[in-house]
Amino acid sequence: MTRVLSPVAGRAIGLARVPDAVFAQAMVGPGTAVDPERRAGRSIAPVSGRIVKLHPHAYVIVDDEGHGVLVHLGIETVKLKGRGFEPLAAEGDEVNAGEPIVAWDPVVVEAAGRSPICAVVALDADGGALTRLREDGPVQQGTELFTWT
Amino acid sequence: MTERRVKIMSRVGLHARPAALFVQTAAKAPMDVTVALDGRDPVNAKSILAVLGLDAHHGEEVTLAAAGDGAEELLNTLESILSQEEHGRA
Repeated sequence: MTRVLSPVAGRAIGLARVPDAVFAQAMVGPGTAVDPERRAGRSIAPVSGRIVKLHPHAYVIVDDEGHGVLVHLGIETVKLKGRGFEPLAAEGDEVNAGEPIVAWDPVVVEAAGRSPICAVVALDADGGALTRLREDGPVQQGTELFTWT
Repeated sequence: MTERRVKIMSRVGLHARPAALFVQTAAKAPMDVTVALDGRDPVNAKSILAVLGLDAHHGEEVTLAAAGDGAEELLNTLESILSQEEHGRA
């Protein structure tokens, strides 16, 4: 069982309200999304495990059960080519849930014309594997977003 | 076994959107499907975790492989996904 924590503080909105069909239709996988507070901050590891992929705007951490969680900071932010993002860790690092992974500023992302909404996705998971999914209401950084069994 | 070398045309590489389309298509196929970067072990093309981990960039070539009935057709479809510069909304 994997407890997946919110990488940022803000408001849970659910995947269906992400303004990008690839996430909204759960094509990447099931999960939820958080509309972040508009201030500079540090996005954390949602689970303990190994960073298998780290881009400035997105990262994947795989825990010891083999569960891979994608954190995607903002929508279409790949096109910002790292502007507004600073990685604080490296691919291959073993991290604990809650450790800062990327420093970023949702205000900068929004000013660049992109939504700063963060998708948190369970990779290769069946929708039914996620329970206690938070899809509305305020969340703190580190609040549990869902449990993956 | 049918193999196919394909260049990644997506400007953002095999990232979230093209990766999701690619994996979703591969996952519908009944047979095993793999994708490999040169010099690296093939990975399961039906796994979004594996494909995102592959991190194939724009302009890189990958080798797709599948076996059995419909493999040729499947690889055609997968090739067309990897050959698109943009996928949906920019």
